[in-house]
Amino acid sequence: MVDLSPAVTAYVQESRDILEGLEEALLDLEKRPDPETVDAVFRSLHTLKGGGAMFGFRLMAGFIHHFEDAFDRVRSGDLAISPKLINVVLKARDQMMAMLDCGGDGPETAALVTSAPLVALLTELDAALDNGVPLTPLVAPTRLWHISFRPAATALQNGMRPDRLIEELVALGQAVVTINAEDVPPLDSFDPSVSYLAWQVALTTAQPRSALEAVFIFADDADLDIHEVEGEASGSPQPDQREDKPTETVAAPPQKHDTAGDSVRVSSAKLDEILDQLGELVIAQARLRQISNSIDEPALEGLVEEVERLVTGLRDATLSVRMLPIEMVFGKFRRVVRDLSAELGKEIELETQGGDTEIDKNVLDRLSEPLVHMIRNSIDHGIELPQERSASGKPAKGRLRLSARQEAGEILISIEDDGKGLDAEAIRKKAVDRGLISTEDEISTAELHKLIFAPGFSTAATVSSVSGRGVGMDAVLTTVSALRGSVDVKSYPGQGTRVTLRLPLTLAIIDGLLVRVGAASYVIPLASVEECVEFDSIEHGRESGRTMLQIREHLVPFIDLIDAFDDLPGHEQRRRVVIVKAEGVRVGLVVDDILGQNQTVIKSLGPYHGGLEGFAGATILGNGSVALIADVGLLARRAWAAQEHLRNAA
Amino acid sequence: MPHKKGDPMDMQQTSRTQSPQIAATSETAEMALIMRLSGEAFGLPVPMVNEIIDPIQITRVPNASAFAPGLINVRGAVVPLLDLRHRLRMAPAAPGATARIVVVETTIKDTPTRLAFLADAVEEVIDVELGKLEPVPKLGAPWPDTYVLGVLRHTKGLVVLLNASTLFQPEPSPTANA
Repeated sequence: MVDLSPAVTAYVQESRDILEGLEEALLDLEKRPDPETVDAVFRSLHTLKGGGAMFGFRLMAGFIHHFEDAFDRVRSGDLAISPKLINVVLKARDQMMAMLDCGGDGPETAALVTSAPLVALLTELDAALDNGVPLTPLVAPTRLWHISFRPAATALQNGMRPDRLIEELVALGQAVVTINAEDVPPLDSFDPSVSYLAWQVALTTAQPRSALEAVFIFADDADLDIHEVEGEASGSPQPDQREDKPTETVAAPPQKHDTAGDSVRVSSAKLDEILDQLGELVIAQARLRQISNSIDEPALEGLVEEVERLVTGLRDATLSVRMLPIEMVFGKFRRVVRDLSAELGKEIELETQGGDTEIDKNVLDRLSEPLVHMIRNSIDHGIELPQERSASGKPAKGRLRLSARQEAGEILISIEDDGKGLDAEAIRKKAVDRGLISTEDEISTAELHKLIFAPGFSTAATVSSVSGRGVGMDAVLTTVSALRGSVDVKSYPGQGTRVTLRLPLTLAIIDGLLVRVGAASYVIPLASVEECVEFDSIEHGRESGRTMLQIREHLVPFIDLIDAFDDLPGHEQRRRVVIVKAEGVRVGLVVDDILGQNQTVIKSLGPYHGGLEGFAGATILGNGSVALIADVGLLARRAWAAQEHLRNAA
Repeated sequence: MPHKKGDPMDMQQTSRTQSPQIAATSETAEMALIMRLSGEAFGLPVPMVNEIIDPIQITRVPNASAFAPGLINVRGAVVPLLDLRHRLRMAPAAPGATARIVVVETTIKDTPTRLAFLADAVEEVIDVELGKLEPVPKLGAPWPDTYVLGVLRHTKGLVVLLNASTLFQPEPSPTANA
């Protein structure tokens, strides 16, 4: 992007937000055309155009003008919403995004404006405007509004015509107008240039609040109150704009929106910086705690405890700032689903759930791409064509469900379709072709399903523009693994497929359980720890090679970390088992000792150890030494695999 | 707490003050840090050396490669500790009293990366004229050619100048077997 002045940068940033909102509004409009949304679309376009002309995006403003015009006509009931119109405006929106990226008027924007796709867009718009769709006025519910209006005493001197305003208001619907004349003074003190009257209007109209407010747009000194009589959905009454004395007017306070004003836009780099510093603080604090423990001075200990509490609070607050609702990416997918289903001739309804689940911004940013891959896969490979669906007794409209929820320090995101499910045989055949498995291999269906994540794997017979290049699911797994997450597939033939991503809540700081294995310390993420129990040493020594532990009524497989971490067995008499839950299963990790809890700043392992299995990162302990963080998910998988192996051998 | 070691750094300091004159005399002049591994003197380009610290606690990384067996904490950063002896095909040895950890910064897979290794001793900083480098004798040296730029005659004997761009790569160089 071009280097821009702060004001222009702010405009571009704001415009991006507006364009995001515009997409949402257009998609809403396609589903349910209501005047409020039409108005929102118009306002967005209007704001973009106005700002564009001001901040050196004149070419873009000129382009937007056509669409603003179209929506002005929709607003006035002169033009009906048609899929064609929505389509062309959506495409235009994408072009506006591209123009914003050009950073203002210049050869780049000029080239874009005169480019074939853009010219085609305008032709398309013209077609959408004159497509002869009968002008069916939007049917919107009528609402009852109470408007009380008292012009400022000086209003008449300023040339205001309250009678005209009331006329205009009455024209919007059915109105009952009451005039309050009790402030009119006796004739001897009457000043014809002073306004004494007040109006009460009960208006029944389908027009939105903004249309009502627009009537009084120049009456800013007036005492105006517009409120809806039944239902509170349309917002609270406008703040009163009143005058203290008849002669002296007070400037009306700027109207406040709920969202603006009390929030600040901060670059995420700054947040990262704060988090880095916080990470160092957590380490320093751990050192302080250790020194305090060795000194045994009550005064110091009290202080250390207080610092600890403050640091924890600061950590939680900082992390919460970085948490964003997952809705922010879910929103983008509506467009993906809409465009793709149109392209492929499929009917698909997107359902989202748990959009308010919050997730770390860094995770969120990197999540959008894999999720798009998965949605494309579901639409392209999963959900069948309407006739196919009807033939197999399913509703013609396919369903795609995106859901998110939080579970024990992890975010679970699943994408579920009610399509034909994964074709295990096709996968097997392909895997044999690719040499991933041999024909003799006995592979469970679940394992076959996992093969779709293998690099270069794709079962689509033909490569479509959508998917089938075999890069999708592989890329999903790579990204998710890089985020310390995992992927799980469940598929039932004819019923559909569900892919679940498990991701950590945050990438930077976790609560850890510090354990000792051999001479070294390791950190187990506390979020996955369920309980700690004594390890009955007899259990391990059994000849049968049994690796199951009886925890109350459940059998839990275990892994001895001495073995897993290739260390020498010690002579511990009383070892312990940390029972962890990972990827939906319980596994015991046998350790020599449990040292305590700590806050752990995760440092990634560099190029020398990054590919190593079993570790999710490293951290620095209070004593200044480095400890590795166990990758519980991987250890759990390993434990279950070993268990399966034993069972098969038996 | 790690601290900067006096002698080598002082020497580096003095050498640095002289560097403008040296740069003027020869384009191919470079400064090298001389350290010892199993008695042999090895040189590394000074600009890549971050710091030299006393040995500190090393965290073993289970199942890691023999070239990168551990991790250390260098001022709050987790830094891999490499075993140069392994890469240079020299027999393993326990660090002695003069052992130091050399922290260097280099580019690995397009990312600036800090890493460290143990040297038996760190001796001095010398000026090297790259033009005067001699090829490594084919016989009698265990280290693969690919990790070495050449050999240099110095007052204290032969100094083997290491090739930093191949030496620190996570994967052994494919030609290292030659």
